[in-house]
Amino acid sequence: MSRRSLIVATVAVATALSSVACGTTSENSGQGPSSGAADACTGADGEYVIGMSQANKAEPYRQRMDDDIATAAKAVPQFTVEFADAQQDNAKQVSDVENFLTQQIDLLIISPNEATPLTAVVKKAYDRGIPVVVLDRKVDGDAYTTFIGADNTEIGRQAGRYMAEQVLPQGGRIAEIRGLAGSTPAQERSAGFAEGIAGSGIEIVATADGDWLREKGQAQADAILKANADIQAIYAHNDPMAEGAFLAAKAAGRDQQLRFIGIDALPIPSGGIKAVEAGRLSATFVYPTGGAEAVAAAKALLVDCADVPRSQTLDTQLITPDNATDVYAKANGG
Amino acid sequence: MSERRRAVVDTLFRFQSLFGLIAVFVAAVIFSPSRNGELLFLSSDNLFNVVRAVSEIGIIAVGMTFVILIGGIDLSVGAVLGLAAVGSAVLLVDEDFGVLPAVLLVLLAGLVFGVLQGMASAMLGIQAFIVTLAGLQIARGLARITSGGQGVAIAYGDGPGEAPVAFSLLGERTFNGLVPIPALIFLVVAALAIAFLRVSAFSRHVYAIGGNEKAARLSGVPVTRVKVAVYGICGLLAALAGIIHAGQLNQGSPNDGGGYELDAIAAVVVGGTALSGGRGSVVGTVAGALLLGVLNNILALNNVDPNVQLLIKGLVIVAAAGLQRLRPDQ
Repeated sequence: MSRRSLIVATVAVATALSSVACGTTSENSGQGPSSGAADACTGADGEYVIGMSQANKAEPYRQRMDDDIATAAKAVPQFTVEFADAQQDNAKQVSDVENFLTQQIDLLIISPNEATPLTAVVKKAYDRGIPVVVLDRKVDGDAYTTFIGADNTEIGRQAGRYMAEQVLPQGGRIAEIRGLAGSTPAQERSAGFAEGIAGSGIEIVATADGDWLREKGQAQADAILKANADIQAIYAHNDPMAEGAFLAAKAAGRDQQLRFIGIDALPIPSGGIKAVEAGRLSATFVYPTGGAEAVAAAKALLVDCADVPRSQTLDTQLITPDNATDVYAKANGG
Repeated sequence: MSERRRAVVDTLFRFQSLFGLIAVFVAAVIFSPSRNGELLFLSSDNLFNVVRAVSEIGIIAVGMTFVILIGGIDLSVGAVLGLAAVGSAVLLVDEDFGVLPAVLLVLLAGLVFGVLQGMASAMLGIQAFIVTLAGLQIARGLARITSGGQGVAIAYGDGPGEAPVAFSLLGERTFNGLVPIPALIFLVVAALAIAFLRVSAFSRHVYAIGGNEKAARLSGVPVTRVKVAVYGICGLLAALAGIIHAGQLNQGSPNDGGGYELDAIAAVVVGGTALSGGRGSVVGTVAGALLLGVLNNILALNNVDPNVQLLIKGLVIVAAAGLQRLRPDQ
């Protein structure tokens, strides 16, 4: 193959691509800068496409969020929801939202992988007059319509109080297995818990990073149990790590002497509610996905032409063996 | 087979990825959803988005092409991208560097990182796979240490703790607000690499080493030097992609670029470069990267289930590699 034919072929393709690209510039004339929700609502007669940009479907919590949105949207005949999965990559999530904009969606729901990198593209959508519902994690600035999420510090605080009042009212020595180092939820669940146990006789004698993962939680708990013969309970920042800690204790023959508390309480077979029901965990706290609330907000904005609050904080719920069965059934339409 | 027919077949295989790109492009046009009679895929905004979205992977893949041409592999590029993104953010925000010094310093760091890997591979004789696997861990560790484990947000302005506004250009568009700057940089890098591989003596050495390293050495090719240079180029381009990454996302995060090495390798393979080395081209890689980008885009525009998207992409990569096997060997 000669050098010339290669150049010819390259030029041919480049020309083909560029001529196609230049052929359709008409679409790009900007719309007026309207500010989100205002004129998106055309009432109950309309049909609406909602784009849901998920940070990472590999986490059960986020898969459940998608499922909750799909379930809630089924009840609104005007809605079609399209899902995108950024696979934990900020750059991919930016592209996902860009693709939604190309598709001219009517409303964007986004659970950002991280705040700062997604801020610009969310603002772009909002500036085009598309209402934006931000779920679970925030973006910077105020270019969004409504934020829906839970308060991790408050959940941590309640977990701390439960530990202090119900699990070890006499005080005692415990271990804390944290989420991914540096992540906001891990910091908040830790800080809240510290507030919750403040003034009680409880002392955190060991902490370790479990990166949100069951296997990592197990390995860390294994080491903690070997080093501390006298700990009485383990608080983990999520249920999978608490389950991991339970497995480590079981392997050491100490699962009966220890109590385990987690967070998230996903109403799925592998989730925390089932673990409490089965007696592996003493308690867990619901970290709501906000999926149903997001669809309700979308319905208010698009179909009912109503206002939505700027920010909605979702409440947690304590799950113990007393209510686990009921909560699980209720969360799954029972 | 007649001489002429053989030439045609040879051309078909040689430019497999270009034909593949055209085929996928045509398919995308056919399957494009439309609004008000206009094909969404063909809107200029969308086409430039496609190129913007592949620009970082594309730039890395150009460097990766050189490495794979000499029969090597570089698994560290995604982590080097993350390190470069963090480095850019820290230098601009925390250290109050100007844009040019920060960019040059980060590029230099990428180059040195690549050169060190090349030296470990070429001089110590450790397999490239192992060296760069270790490099991946080291770059990731350095990125976490530099950033304190958290994303470093880049705010723009003149004050202390703010990056020069010029850096934000990397996330913006030019020429009538249409052409994304990262896409322009990708095309310039690709053009330079194509020209470089066409005219320089260096390129003959690269192909010679990939074809048969021992023979190349015996015929006087400075194998060690070329290898070190190739890994240096790859590290440099990964760092460039990291700078663009930080500019596009206004943040340098130590976890950035996770898995990008595999996307880059996929682009190279789809582009028709043989993993065994000695055969392939940057043109093919550029076409391969664009092909994967167009594929991603049209699957998303058609709202194909994200899980099924992964499946389809995997099959395309296998098909592209499979087609290479059919190629008649010269």
